[in-house]
Amino acid sequence: MRFDLDMPAWKWPFYVARHPFEGFEDLRWKKAYNMKVALVIVFCFFIVTVCQTVMTGFLYNNNYVKIFNIVPLFTSTIIMFFTWVVGNWSLCTLFDGEGKMKEICVVSAYALVPYLITQVVVILASNVLLRNESAFIVFMQYFGIVWSVVLMISAIKTVHQYTVPKTIAAIVFTVFAMVIILFILVLLMSLFQQVYVFGYSIYTELMYRFSM
Amino acid sequence: MPTKKKILGAAAASLMAVTMLTTSIVADEPYEGYQYDWWGDPVPSQTGYMVDRVVDGIDLGEGTRYNSNEQLQAISDQVGETVEKVTDVGAMLDPMDLFIDTETEKLYIVDSGNDRIIITDTDLSPNVTIMDYFYNPETGQYETLNGPRGIFVFHDSDAEDQNEETKIYIADYENGRVLAVYEDGTIFQQYTKPSSEFYDDEVTFQPNKVVVDVAGNVYVNIKSITDGAVMFAPDGTFSSYYGANRVEQTAQAIANKFWKTILDREAAQNFIQNVPMEFSNFDIDKEGFIYTVTESKSATTDVFKKLNPAGENVFIKLGYSELIFGDMATYYYQNANYGSRISDVDVDEDGVIRLLDYRNGRIFEYTDECDLLFIYGGTGNQKGLFNTPSAVEAYQNIVYVLDQRKSSITTFKRTEFGDIVHEAMDLYTDGKYEEARGPWNEVLARDSNYWFAYIGLGNAEMSQGNYETAMDYFYMNSRGGYNRAFKQFRMQFVRDNFNWFIIIIVAVIVVIVALKMVYKKLKKKKAGGTQ
Repeated sequence: MRFDLDMPAWKWPFYVARHPFEGFEDLRWKKAYNMKVALVIVFCFFIVTVCQTVMTGFLYNNNYVKIFNIVPLFTSTIIMFFTWVVGNWSLCTLFDGEGKMKEICVVSAYALVPYLITQVVVILASNVLLRNESAFIVFMQYFGIVWSVVLMISAIKTVHQYTVPKTIAAIVFTVFAMVIILFILVLLMSLFQQVYVFGYSIYTELMYRFSM
Repeated sequence: MPTKKKILGAAAASLMAVTMLTTSIVADEPYEGYQYDWWGDPVPSQTGYMVDRVVDGIDLGEGTRYNSNEQLQAISDQVGETVEKVTDVGAMLDPMDLFIDTETEKLYIVDSGNDRIIITDTDLSPNVTIMDYFYNPETGQYETLNGPRGIFVFHDSDAEDQNEETKIYIADYENGRVLAVYEDGTIFQQYTKPSSEFYDDEVTFQPNKVVVDVAGNVYVNIKSITDGAVMFAPDGTFSSYYGANRVEQTAQAIANKFWKTILDREAAQNFIQNVPMEFSNFDIDKEGFIYTVTESKSATTDVFKKLNPAGENVFIKLGYSELIFGDMATYYYQNANYGSRISDVDVDEDGVIRLLDYRNGRIFEYTDECDLLFIYGGTGNQKGLFNTPSAVEAYQNIVYVLDQRKSSITTFKRTEFGDIVHEAMDLYTDGKYEEARGPWNEVLARDSNYWFAYIGLGNAEMSQGNYETAMDYFYMNSRGGYNRAFKQFRMQFVRDNFNWFIIIIVAVIVVIVALKMVYKKLKKKKAGGTQ
């Protein structure tokens, strides 16, 4: 090995970001999955998204921040991430993927790192750049997204020991799985709401009867 | 002490009563003024216009036919009943268009249901002329209109005698022609369906509106044609189509484009063709630019455009074609769409643009740079509200709105607030930012929601070199202004703090180099220690 792989857990995400192809293999070989680091990254994902909404410079900020609402940001980051993990796990266990839930969670979080770093740079740059200097910001944004997508494909491929086409198919179907999961969640929520309303109306009805 | 408190309380109560009284006096408009903020949300605002008068046909009293007595005799013989010189104007029926001739201060009303043109003046005084019989010198007969819908008056300075100077063009809808008459009602030209290979024989020719440019070219708006206005040369020959809308980029349109690239030409011909929305009304300004509006439930492309003589939309280059005209949001209520449907446009002598939304009965007033100034009007039966407004015209700060169903003209006059805004705006468009500062501050004192005042003040600060204050004014009001101010501010900041930048950069480099050296030494020591 050219590199010393006995590094502290927090260095691993940066290592895999710098080595998109063999990085996750090394991670798998060393069994260096660290849930704490992963959770910190997911939390950072949330924080960066909040910062992106609020702190992006006026010239580049197209978000509706007249009324700041944290719930959609929370949903679109943390809940989305765990839906991705659950969706991917439930799909890939059926299609002989080797990854465990924890492993999927960790590698997916690690794959987000380049996106987060470029987002921070973009937020800072958006406060000092003019409109006609937007090329840098656009480049950074795409660069981060492409890098993270490449890492994500590599991560899923390694953690399940898939071939590349199978990985891409898995990712596409994971998105479908996420949609189904979210749909069922919404359905369940409205169902429980109905049950609650039903119970509550029985309660009020009874109260009227007895108070007569 | 208690007496003092009592006095204070009484004073406060009387003050409140007075303010309530005054507000009830001031707010007598049946509509509420509003503006749109940076986010596109409606916010309350001062009204710029208030209702002045409502005039219907009966209020106009008696009208005089413009025909001479000999002509009237001939008309009576032709019609078979006596046609009087003086008649009651009576109620109008479905009036469709208004036109103000700024040179003679005459107001032309197209009384479509009664097949006549009513001419009064801009004060709507009961000094009325009626045009309903037109002499055709070719046949020697008198002709009538049938459901006219549009009118345009054009002054030809090259004309030989005074009568021929004023040319009146009437879009005679049911008769399928545009009638061009002199002031005395003599027909000198008829623009009918062109027998050109470019004009499809199956397409009807029913003129809806008409506009004439300085060169005497006649532009006819026809609802069944999507290629733009039909343009006639002054001699009455068909020259071309003018200023078509672009095709709306819907999913359907994109899919069709995709199929067209794959299929060969013949197969593509049989495919559904993408057809743009036809525009529904237009107006021409002093400089010869033609403004068109498209009235459609769903269309968002080219709702309002400004065409140069070549028929190109100059708003595209300026980025204004991306703007939303009329109300920002469309909403549905009981299966009906209440989005704005812009059915008329008027550009007045100062270049102020007024768009008429016939769905919600509102008038949207814009500057010539498409900045929203005021919104007024509404639907209802009260004075100042409309049922089916069909036309808007403005002359010398008075706005005339014609209601087709109510058969009346409503005039609006500018409020004090409107006057201040327009005063500030005039200074602003002349580039006198500093002089406009006073009026803009006055505007903000009356209405702090009035966003354009912040842009005006921002520009005033810019011209003084106070870029940071200018940035504060432009923030959440104008991205372009903020960009300009920020550019200057950043340049100044870098110039002022250049030494600090150099010091920080050098310090960072020194620290990095020092840390590297220390790190290397430590590593060597470690390596030496283990061996």
